[in-house]
Amino acid sequence: MLKSFAAKATVPPAIAVTGFVVVCCILLYSVIKTDMLNDAIEHETNLAGTIVKSARYAMLKDDRETLRNIIDNIGQQKGVEHTRIFNKKGVIMFSAHTEDVNKLVDKKAAGCIACHTGPVPLTSMGRMEQARRYINEQGHSVIAITVPIYNEPDCFNAACHVHSPNLKLLGTLDIGLSEEPLQKTLGTLRGRMIVFCVMVLILTVGGVSALLLRNVLLPIKELANYVVAIKRGDANRKAPAYRDEIGELARSFEEMATRLTATQNESKQQRSAEGDGADSRS
Amino acid sequence: MKRFQPPPPKPDATGTPPDRDAVRQETVQRIKRLRSKSNRGLWAMALFIAVSIVALGDFSILPPLPPSIRATLGKPPSAIMISGALVLYTFSAIILILSRMMGGKEEYSGFAHVGYLAAFYGFYHFAKALNENFWAVFVAGVTILGLESYHIWNFCNEAIRREQEVLDSIERLRKS
Repeated sequence: MLKSFAAKATVPPAIAVTGFVVVCCILLYSVIKTDMLNDAIEHETNLAGTIVKSARYAMLKDDRETLRNIIDNIGQQKGVEHTRIFNKKGVIMFSAHTEDVNKLVDKKAAGCIACHTGPVPLTSMGRMEQARRYINEQGHSVIAITVPIYNEPDCFNAACHVHSPNLKLLGTLDIGLSEEPLQKTLGTLRGRMIVFCVMVLILTVGGVSALLLRNVLLPIKELANYVVAIKRGDANRKAPAYRDEIGELARSFEEMATRLTATQNESKQQRSAEGDGADSRS
Repeated sequence: MKRFQPPPPKPDATGTPPDRDAVRQETVQRIKRLRSKSNRGLWAMALFIAVSIVALGDFSILPPLPPSIRATLGKPPSAIMISGALVLYTFSAIILILSRMMGGKEEYSGFAHVGYLAAFYGFYHFAKALNENFWAVFVAGVTILGLESYHIWNFCNEAIRREQEVLDSIERLRKS
């Protein structure tokens, strides 16, 4: 079947168009996914920065109640998986989940191993490097942002002088947002792209194949059948009536067949006449 | 790689039986070589699938690249740049294959494409974007190697048909 004229005319373009469209759609989806993920991280980073700035005054005034209230309010927002502040030793001082307060965080946990891989934890990371993607204990996909709370001059020059000037890092804010809305959006986008891809392929490959089949392959098949019939001696078969090159070719075959038939008839008549002449002479 | 193949000699009606036998033997040998050549597409496809299986696991079976070599190589290109290059490569490869089909040329470069596609797997791996882009490279590979396989298969079948006509002519001369 692959050796037929129809296969030679349709298989390579179909493979080429289908493959190229699918590759482009996959790559486009991948790029969009990366962009959306980066936007989500950007949004979360800005949110974390806002939280740190909002909590700065409370920390400066050592107003723990206000700070706890801020963390609780942030944690109650839809889509927020966790919000907590660690001290330098890794003890959770404030958390939206009150049961986590005063617990020591495992540095080897899924969300912590990125910074605590070496003997000295990382203290400066880029914006995108602050983001961590993992599945939490509840089985939810989480995008978490870790924002360090640095020891600023206002902190160690305050009247209370609680923090030493040599201390670089006071603590860390860790906020995790659920990835499910993003995944839902990506799923919708993926479905739409698949539908679009299928429609494009049906239109291009299917449409071109159908037109090719109707306008080229079927006439050629009729011409081939006509030639086979002529070869079998079916002189009454009519040539396909087309106005294009295939029609001209068919009419040429018909004319050739007609001439061949006439020549054969003349030969038969001559042989008959010669036979009659021989009989009369004998 | 382009290989020069001289056209098959036409059988000479005045040739003696030993000459016809020699031509027949040469024709049979050419048919065997063509059949062997038509299977090259399958070997390339199998090799690509093997590479893809390794890439599907993010090359975890291979030892990690030493940090010194990685530092020497420098920062890998971004995933977007690699994707753009993949689109350009796929487009140009398809155009070249279709043009070869149209021109009836014998050139086959399936194994070279396997190398290029393996390089794309490697670039995505070092850019930490292989999981998202594996299927793009795989579909590109199946498309390109599928076209190459069809091209070489079709070309060889046509050549075999011509050689078979030579054999048929020799047989008819032998019977006459």
